[in-house]
Amino acid sequence: MSATETPTNPLVRMMGQVWGSIFRHGLPTSDKVAARTALTNFFLHIHPVRVKKSAIRVSYTLCLGGLSFFLFIVLTISGLFLMFYYIPSVDQAYQNIKDLQFVATFGLVIRNLHRWAAHAMVITVWLHMARVFYQGAYKPPREFNWTIGTLLLLTTLLLSFSGYLLPWDQLAVWAITVGTNMAKYAPIAGPYTRYIMLGGRNVGQGALIRFYVLHVIALPLIGFLLMVVHFWRVRKDGFTGGL
Amino acid sequence: MATVIGGNGGNGPEGRPPARTRTLPPPQVPSGARGVAGTGPELVTPPLVVRRREEEETVVTFPALIFREFLAGLGIFALLMLISIFVNAPLLQRANTAITPNPAKAPWYFLGLQELLQRFPPIMAGVAFPTFVITGMILTPYLDKNPSRRPQDRKVAVTLFTLYAVLAVAFVVVGVFFRAEAFTWDWLKVLGHPGVNPEV
Ligand code: HEM
Repeated sequence: MSATETPTNPLVRMMGQVWGSIFRHGLPTSDKVAARTALTNFFLHIHPVRVKKSAIRVSYTLCLGGLSFFLFIVLTISGLFLMFYYIPSVDQAYQNIKDLQFVATFGLVIRNLHRWAAHAMVITVWLHMARVFYQGAYKPPREFNWTIGTLLLLTTLLLSFSGYLLPWDQLAVWAITVGTNMAKYAPIAGPYTRYIMLGGRNVGQGALIRFYVLHVIALPLIGFLLMVVHFWRVRKDGFTGGL
Repeated sequence: MATVIGGNGGNGPEGRPPARTRTLPPPQVPSGARGVAGTGPELVTPPLVVRRREEEETVVTFPALIFREFLAGLGIFALLMLISIFVNAPLLQRANTAITPNPAKAPWYFLGLQELLQRFPPIMAGVAFPTFVITGMILTPYLDKNPSRRPQDRKVAVTLFTLYAVLAVAFVVVGVFFRAEAFTWDWLKVLGHPGVNPEV
């Protein structure tokens, strides 16, 4: 964008000013403009201005970390829509899901999207971990980011697990019954752990509200915070780059 | 031409935190910074890593990387949308604690645990193994002292992880496709037992 050609029409000039105040640098016609755009844009600032060619080759990251994050965003947005219809009560939850499937416009697609994206995220996060391992990308100075990654993997699993109960159908309740039964086996603390998880001895209203709160607030917040730190460290340490 | 890499927006040189690197290309260093006049450049903090530009070619993030990210996001979103339009998420009968489905299975990513519970005493399968795996994962970078990242130099690490990965995937596949009533092995389950309704 050059500042030389000032339009005469005041309305056009004002629109130009509005546009220019939001998008400061125009299209990336040269490396210099591109670099300035990346530097001054909040969302682009998560990236360094320049990256090693070897680090952004698709064959290096396979996009898996980025895709995991993208799926997290898809899940947040589709989950938000689901929350408009879903009431975490054993009397209503199942009917809410039925309504989503058969009454609410696009409810079915949004529910499907949320479900399949959740499965996909477990897979992409696990594969991301595998690629980081095989490339030895956890070696110094990135040891601690691997640890944060491990916590992210656990958070992802718990997010998926807590969501599993919410439809309140046979699949949900029994999967959670089997899942939480495993916790029972820990010595001494086991039975208490299960009781705390379920808010009772069986999977009932107590468990539903606990899983709901964990699923829509606590775990996404924890996951988001861990991701922020994870990305910050990737940004500061740089990509490991080609072998 | 030799050039100094580091401080270039987080692309730290291999094996060092970028905070410790310096960008001191000679033309930009004011003469005053070269120490007391006449003493020469000895007092200048030497660059920690000097590499050839050809080895570490960089590109501008925007649009080169952003465009790829956009394509990757678009691709997976399109794929998920397609799946979501044609395949419905499961919804069985309303929860009924009086009717236990047979088999009752954990979500697929926990089927490995369920598989272990089938084979080992609960204290091993439910507590010892998971604790071992999680602690092992967290400690991996601190236990693996081998500085090389080349697969040829990391035979033990690669073998161990591959063993874990193959077992983990195998357990999930077995749990989903081959475990039938009471979680017993069933080769035919994967074919769906024609004529029998498996749902509760
Ligand atoms: C919610 C889960 C996760 C998200 C959203 C995520 C995201 C990312 C992203 C975007 C990158 C940049 C490179 C790339 O795209 O591959 C990255 C790098 C990295 N991740 Fe993750 N990650 C997650 C889980 C994990 C897990 C489970 C581990 C390991 C246990 C891990 C360890 C690492 C390490 C060590 C790096 C630096 C790799 C390098 O420099 O080449 N992350 N992560």
